[in-house]
Amino acid sequence: MEHMLGKINLKSVYFWLIVLVFVLFPFVIDSRPMTILLTQIFIFAILAMSYDILLGYTGIVSFGHAMFFGFGAYATSVMLKNIDSSLTVFFLSIIVGMVIAGIVSFLIGLLTLRLQSHFFAMFTLAVSGLFLVLAEKWRSLTQGNDGFTFRAPEIFSDRINFYLFVLFCLVLVFLLLRLFVNSPFGKVLIAVKENETRTKALGYKTIYYKVVSSVDAGVAASLAGSLYVVSLRFVNTSMMAIDVTLNALLMTIIGGVGTLVGPIVGAAIIELAKHNLSILAKTYPIFERWIIFFGIIYILAVIFFPKGVVGTLKEKWEGRKMVRQQAMKQKEDAA
Amino acid sequence: MELLINLTINGLSTGMLIFLLASGLTLIFGLMHVLNFAHGGLFAWGAYAGVWFYSITSSFTVALIGAIIVGALLGFITERLIIRPVYGDVVPQILITLGFMLVISEMLKVVWGPNQIAATVPPALSGSWEIGDVLIIKYRLFIILMGFLVFGIFYYILKRTKIGLIVRAGVINNEMVQALGINIKRVFLLVFMTGAALAALGGALMAPYSGVIYAEMGMDFAILAFIVVVIGGMGSFPGSLFAAILVGLAGSYMAYYVPDLSLAVNMIIMVLVLIFRPQGLFAVKG
Repeated sequence: MEHMLGKINLKSVYFWLIVLVFVLFPFVIDSRPMTILLTQIFIFAILAMSYDILLGYTGIVSFGHAMFFGFGAYATSVMLKNIDSSLTVFFLSIIVGMVIAGIVSFLIGLLTLRLQSHFFAMFTLAVSGLFLVLAEKWRSLTQGNDGFTFRAPEIFSDRINFYLFVLFCLVLVFLLLRLFVNSPFGKVLIAVKENETRTKALGYKTIYYKVVSSVDAGVAASLAGSLYVVSLRFVNTSMMAIDVTLNALLMTIIGGVGTLVGPIVGAAIIELAKHNLSILAKTYPIFERWIIFFGIIYILAVIFFPKGVVGTLKEKWEGRKMVRQQAMKQKEDAA
Repeated sequence: MELLINLTINGLSTGMLIFLLASGLTLIFGLMHVLNFAHGGLFAWGAYAGVWFYSITSSFTVALIGAIIVGALLGFITERLIIRPVYGDVVPQILITLGFMLVISEMLKVVWGPNQIAATVPPALSGSWEIGDVLIIKYRLFIILMGFLVFGIFYYILKRTKIGLIVRAGVINNEMVQALGINIKRVFLLVFMTGAALAALGGALMAPYSGVIYAEMGMDFAILAFIVVVIGGMGSFPGSLFAAILVGLAGSYMAYYVPDLSLAVNMIIMVLVLIFRPQGLFAVKG
């Protein structure tokens, strides 16, 4: 018991140490591009974590995550532009985006989650496709593919303030989602993923659990959208395009599904890779088609590396621990 | 009256293009429970291949045949490389086919450049007929005829031939078919290649219809095809024809009479079907 307590503490000590390093980072290394890149990574980490709730913990594939991201993005940018660019409006707009995302994901979940998993994937793809067209057609509000710029709240004109705020959001979302997946509710979700029929047989209304999980993921994705547009001070329909969903998918898969830490690592890997590839593309035009490389890596990862970076490391680490424990036990037995 | 006829022809021809895409999708799903998210990519490849063959040979027949061959080859590669490794595993399957969609759509840009390409209607099919007051665009009629022709051929194959019998039996219970000593995987490869070829044919027919082709067109059409598959019932060949025509006509009428609703109409039909008949209008009993 004491041993376990010590271990948990050690883990959270590591966690807060890492957070501290990132809090201090912009003050130590004064590099604007680096701060901006890290901000992007944090935002996409939130998006990828929200995706992990669906894919990694509930075992359902959504192709409509861009839509929820887009709800947040448009709620925030439209409100900041049309009302005023105060901090209060910004917070209000985050809530508005979350409510819209929550309602839509609730309805979609209710309609399709009682069916085979294909339906959810197909339906979310279709609905998000239709919302994308809606955003393109509703030009008076969204200005379509051209998009529009707007002013961010005054306090965020300092990049470091925004960086810290996004970091705060990331830590908060991480802690909340971890609480969620470690709760009894989260355990049922994992049971749904492992074997839905059996979970049903045990008397759980799995549809209820799946819908809550999908709402949860949608709301978190909307937050990421709200933050993203403020970091760019610009919005257009590309933020609702399928690429956003693919990004989240890629980050979650490469990082490791069902780990929550994995998507954060995945977001860092993908964003850094994109950043460097876009530099490379200036000299080697072939890298302009980086989606091909990512696509191939992604396909190979699904086939050969399904646990992702963090999942694989975790497995190795736990395997070693098990061997060590067995060795210790054998020694004790011998003695 | 003239307006109504023209709207109907527009709707039917769009419906036929969607049908060519959706019919392969639905059979592939029905037979092996594989939902191929890369299907739209095959459609786009068909369109590019068709335009390319037409530009070199300036024969539309060669263009269509070329597109069909390219589609079937791509179907072969997809099935062997992408579907086989994750066969029977639903989540990786969905993930991997979408990844493949991404790769082949980008490959289009590598081969033919990232810009839109113009496509022209072959001279024999361009222009229109005037029947009374009604002006009928030849090419649209051609698409409708092609659609019914394809439907007729495949309906005959499915209903009257041995391979059709195997496919239909496989849709209902593929384990039973396997137990009877039929190599269902080989049948599946055949169905997959056929489905891919149909999608490519749809793309090749689509190109002159819309006038331009671009790499993302696959995804746009795939979304319509998915809606059709949900409405018609996964695995039902006649269902996909019915639903495709329904979606095509609804889109065409709505775009004229209630333009604001033209987007929502597919959505509304799909939601109604999911609420009242989630297995689709023409569900296959399994």
